[in-house]
Amino acid sequence: MLEAKLDLKLLEMCSKCGACYSICPSCVNIPGYDPRAVIKDILDGNHENWINHSSIWQCLECHFCLEMCYQHYGFESAMTAMRTIATRKGAHPPQVKRGWDMFVKTSRLGEPALPARKKLGLPEPKASGAEEFRKLYALLNEKRQQKAE
Amino acid sequence: MKEFAVFWGCTIQTRFPFIEKSTRMILESFKLPYRDIDGFTCCPEKSLVNNVDHGAFVVTAARNVALVDELGYDLVSPCTGCVSNLATVRGELNANPREKAEVNGLLKEIGREFTGTASLKHLVPFFHDTVGVHAIKQKIKRDFKGMRIALHYGCHMIRPSHALRADDPLNPVKFDNLIRGLGAESLQFMTKLMCCGQGLDRIDEHDRALDFARIKLKELKAMKADALVLCCPSCFLQFDNNQFLMEKEGERFGIPIIYFTELLGLALGFSAEELGMNNHRIDCAPFLKRWEELSARPSPSKGIEEGLTGPNALG
Repeated sequence: MLEAKLDLKLLEMCSKCGACYSICPSCVNIPGYDPRAVIKDILDGNHENWINHSSIWQCLECHFCLEMCYQHYGFESAMTAMRTIATRKGAHPPQVKRGWDMFVKTSRLGEPALPARKKLGLPEPKASGAEEFRKLYALLNEKRQQKAE
Repeated sequence: MKEFAVFWGCTIQTRFPFIEKSTRMILESFKLPYRDIDGFTCCPEKSLVNNVDHGAFVVTAARNVALVDELGYDLVSPCTGCVSNLATVRGELNANPREKAEVNGLLKEIGREFTGTASLKHLVPFFHDTVGVHAIKQKIKRDFKGMRIALHYGCHMIRPSHALRADDPLNPVKFDNLIRGLGAESLQFMTKLMCCGQGLDRIDEHDRALDFARIKLKELKAMKADALVLCCPSCFLQFDNNQFLMEKEGERFGIPIIYFTELLGLALGFSAEELGMNNHRIDCAPFLKRWEELSARPSPSKGIEEGLTGPNALG
């Protein structure tokens, strides 16, 4: 369960609906953005068409589609899966790699701004869980390795 | 009231420590039992971590929730994203016992256990449900009567609703209730629930992120809103910082962006400076000036009471 998954049966239903299309902020505001085309290609066995496409990153994960979806699935699920595949193939925006590196190294996406805190009279930030996090992440990867063998 | 840990999140502590400041000030004012605890990491941020590695997303969030579970605390955060991500994982694990066992198998090796019992709340629904509009009204020193405020909920304050159960995901009311409780008018407008679009800045699409900010700011300018009030550091970044960048290019909107904690802090009698509002990129002075002007006006009932009392005029 700790791996990303895509439910093709739900996606099949999804491809015939479109209840979420007119509430999706990217569909409404980004010319050419249409997850229905991505879903169609996934179902037709052509998902690779989208790996290098900017569209799959333009889903804002606002979860409007999830709320509208009568299957409670939403086309964000397809976009998330496509982003995971694209990242595994190295086809991600450069910023994603920078953010990820910082996350695995420090367990955070930035360190508390100490001089500004002092100026504002804020207390010392609490200890981070970085060390424990790194252990946990290593354990997760070890377990995956064992499964693969 | 149950003790609760505050989950500050990376963005507030890294970029906007003044939001932490105003949050602490209002929590102190209401004498709420908040705690700072050791050991939190990034929530983690869904659009980054979940896209790269779903497993890392789940175990990191589960570990953060386990920290409060173990202490018997609840969790409150002034960041919408943090609460939404933590709650999403808690929902996923509570709905999948096998996955929960798998995660707990890993957590056990670092001496933790996820039970998923702590309540996870964003600051706005927390103030609405736990403190209550009535208690806030009693506590404030000065209201915002006459001020026209536009609210931006922020997607992750209310969605995904199955995990957050914070408010109606398509027609939320709690933030509106709080703003009205403070005496202001909560404007109703077309783009009220539109996503801020900050996510586009995180995938190297800065111009498109500006497009999204522009849509809402244009409408607010046309409506002559006094301010945009929100309670999410990402949305704050989008509307304060990106509005500033557009102004530098000559596109002026002049919409002050005010964090909920700052608005409440002002009503409680703190000065804008004490609250750290001078750290905003977009000047809040027009908002404060209008507030001053309104409070300088005579109250509508002035002179009425004298006119109604004493002997009648006809003898």
